[in-house]
Amino acid sequence: MSLKEELKEIVGEKWVITGEESSLFSVDGFTAYKGDPSMVVLPGNEEEAVKVVRSIVKRGEKVIFRGSGTSLSGGSIPVDGEIVVGLSRLNRIEEYKGNEVIVGPGIANIMVTKNAPPHLFYAPDPASYSVSSIGGNISHDSGGIHVVKYGPTFNSVLGVKVILPDGDVEDLLFHNGQLNPMSIFIGAEGTLGAVIKARLKLFPKPESRVSVFATFDSVTDAGKAVVEIFRKGVVPSALELMDRNIIRAIESSRYKADLPNVSAMLLVELDGSIPQVKEEKEVVKGAIEDNSGRIIDAKGNEDEFWKARKGAFPSMGAISPAYVTLDCTVPRSKLPNALESIEKISREENVFIANVFHAGDGNLHPLIPYDPNNKESLLNALRVGEKISKIAITMGGVPSGEHGIGIEKISIEEMYYSEEEIAVMKRIKQTFDPNNLFNPWKIFRPKSLPRQDDVLKVMWEWE
Amino acid sequence: MRGTQRSDTIESEREVNKCVHCGFCLESCPTYVVTRSEVHSPRGRILSVKLGLDAEGIETCMYCRRCEIACPSGVKYDKIITTARRPDAFKKLMLKTLERPRLLYLGTSAVMKGNGRLSYRLRDFIASPEEPLEHEEKDPDVYLIPGCITSTFFRGTVEKALRFLQEKGFRVKILNGCCGLAHYSEGDVKGGDEALNKLVPSHIKSSGKVTLVSLSSNCTAHMREKGMNVMDFHEFMKSMNYHVRIGNKFTIHYPCHANLLGITKSLADVISDKENMVQMDDPSFECGAGGAFFLFNEKMSDLVIEEKNRKVKGSGAEIVISTNPSCSLTLKKSGKKVLHIADFL
Ligand SMILES: Cc1cc2nc3c(=O)[nH]c(=O)nc-3n(C[C@H](O)[C@H](O)[C@H](O)COP(=O)(O)OP(=O)(O)OC[C@H]3O[C@@H](n4cnc5c(N)ncnc54)[C@H](O)[C@@H]3O)c2cc1C
Ligand code: SF4
Ligand code: SF4
Repeated sequence: MSLKEELKEIVGEKWVITGEESSLFSVDGFTAYKGDPSMVVLPGNEEEAVKVVRSIVKRGEKVIFRGSGTSLSGGSIPVDGEIVVGLSRLNRIEEYKGNEVIVGPGIANIMVTKNAPPHLFYAPDPASYSVSSIGGNISHDSGGIHVVKYGPTFNSVLGVKVILPDGDVEDLLFHNGQLNPMSIFIGAEGTLGAVIKARLKLFPKPESRVSVFATFDSVTDAGKAVVEIFRKGVVPSALELMDRNIIRAIESSRYKADLPNVSAMLLVELDGSIPQVKEEKEVVKGAIEDNSGRIIDAKGNEDEFWKARKGAFPSMGAISPAYVTLDCTVPRSKLPNALESIEKISREENVFIANVFHAGDGNLHPLIPYDPNNKESLLNALRVGEKISKIAITMGGVPSGEHGIGIEKISIEEMYYSEEEIAVMKRIKQTFDPNNLFNPWKIFRPKSLPRQDDVLKVMWEWE
Repeated sequence: MRGTQRSDTIESEREVNKCVHCGFCLESCPTYVVTRSEVHSPRGRILSVKLGLDAEGIETCMYCRRCEIACPSGVKYDKIITTARRPDAFKKLMLKTLERPRLLYLGTSAVMKGNGRLSYRLRDFIASPEEPLEHEEKDPDVYLIPGCITSTFFRGTVEKALRFLQEKGFRVKILNGCCGLAHYSEGDVKGGDEALNKLVPSHIKSSGKVTLVSLSSNCTAHMREKGMNVMDFHEFMKSMNYHVRIGNKFTIHYPCHANLLGITKSLADVISDKENMVQMDDPSFECGAGGAFFLFNEKMSDLVIEEKNRKVKGSGAEIVISTNPSCSLTLKKSGKKVLHIADFL
């Protein structure tokens, strides 16, 4: 029996997609490169998923796992004919128990809170939370606006169950002992194992949650205010910065919230007990005003402002058909310098750069639009992106705060880590997956290109 | 004709290019929710149009346009799908029939007696078609537009609405026909516009003195998008400051197109016993009918109907208020009483 027939027997005829329709799974949220899967399989439950993976690896075929396909680093793109195993149908909530829940990997992040007991919530909330899957969130160790206080996905995952590249299933939902063996799968981008179940931690909803919004005449001042807020001892539950360019994009999109037309805007959220939040609010206001910021009254539009922030990336679509999203971080204290540098690059290279980012943890997201019908414009955007990432690294930052390495940041990663560090990572991969079957083209620069392709060449510096 | 098709294609292309492939629309799409496959998602459909694929998803779109609400880039999905679809001969015939509700009545009555799939499917959802109510007074000041499906399968609602209008002293004329939304849904934009012109001739449209009142909320939405000044029936009730009492625990369904234009939000304003109101989860979630979709894509439609009715049952309501007829047909599968607001007059 051919592999296709075997897979059809496991999941049913209509859940194996072949032919040209399979190319609908060839891209994710990173659209600069289009892959080509040889086949797509959508198992309906855990048992099927295990059988599917076993069938594939038994034949030495390569496989890539997919959640909702919103990765911004091309994590779920099949670069060269990998079989896509989509886990979106594994979206069951097994049970809520105390402040924990066990879910399938395909469930959308938003559903975990939506179905939770009313006093609890799941903290990691990437802007894509209404669609991105828990499996994808775990595999990219995704962040979100609440990272600054509650940590990234890593801090909320208590256990996982995985399928390993040899087809074995490892149940680490509940593990004891000093070493935490499941942590290796968080942020592994599906290169070490497929997450088929996860045990997550829920936090009690705070007694009070308030927002403070402020405008600035320069992004540098806004950056200074951010530094000041922390220096005064306040840890906000969210602290986001948007510049004029992104405000313009949002205001031309569905997320239009009548945001002020200013150089920079800070969105601050404080949560906790009522007296604590009240006190912190005064401190935050002071820090903002000390740095030439003006507090603005949202006039009942608080939710709209936050929704506008969450819709900021895709609202770029309203002004440009495609864009590159960077994800480097800098130490918080370097924010004002980093923002100045980005402004300078934008001027010098004459490129439009929109900034919207998690200021609280120094996680920058410069968005650089390009024309998808013009290769040169894409390559230029990628080059400018690399320049910015390099600057962030020299300031003591890292290349990726939350979007992952995927195919996008392979060469930048090599700038950050030393050769030994990369060698250690490669040894880990080798140990788990000696035949390089799971998501084979990700994270590490391959020995040769799968095919002649300008985009891969630039991203992977193969010129 | 060629000229209009070309401009359609250009518009569609522009919308396709606006899509940044973020996936924000996925969970809003009923066919994605029940299949969780990219093939049956808005993003997948747009990509198939972009790549020029003959993908199954184009056929399985329910044309509910919920994806447009979710899309932060403002992609006008309807422009894409109406350009990508073309009705086959059978659907063309069906569309023509909708334009003449009397024919629809005769046609469905005949088909329902048969033994084919379609006969079975119709019997499964429809009790019995009735002859559309005709009514015309001299110099009408209100034109009542039931909508093709309401005319034929919900005559009782039309009768109640008419009696109400007469009691309030209006001279009424009923306009039976199709607003053209069904045509749009099958990709026949030109046919849809012609159907609307036939239903509401231009002298009525442009006359400032008359009021147009529609009994089918999705048709209200479509006609408004086509620039017509038409009131949804509940909006008319509201303008008369008239309220009804439901008398039992009820929940309100938001028909998809009406929801897109924000039309059903004010429905609760004409209900006096709001204390009986309970919310269902995601009230604008597609009902599963998708116009005539449920007749041709049984499996997909059944999955969506099941998902919708899970939400309906979860609300704990006894009565579901639905002001759009095809929704009412599928909502009945929840086992609850499904009524139009005019049924309470
Ligand atoms: C508009 C927009 C805004 C975004 N905002 C944020 C943000 O604020 N913060 C943030 O961190 N990210 C953000 N992202 C990026 C993206 O949403 C996250 O990386 C998300 O976690 C990806 O989830 P997914 O289900 O779409 O995963 P996919 O894209 O399907 O996959 C991502 C990676 O995980 C692997 N994978 C998926 N499921 C599994 C599994 N079950 N087992 C093993 N490996 C698996 C894939 O192989 C791939 O390498 C945003 C994306 C978009 C498009
Ligand atoms: S119109 Fe409805 S069914 Fe079609 S893609 Fe949009 S949300 Fe899905
Ligand atoms: S939400 Fe809009 S931009 Fe994003 S994938 Fe869907 S249609 Fe495209």
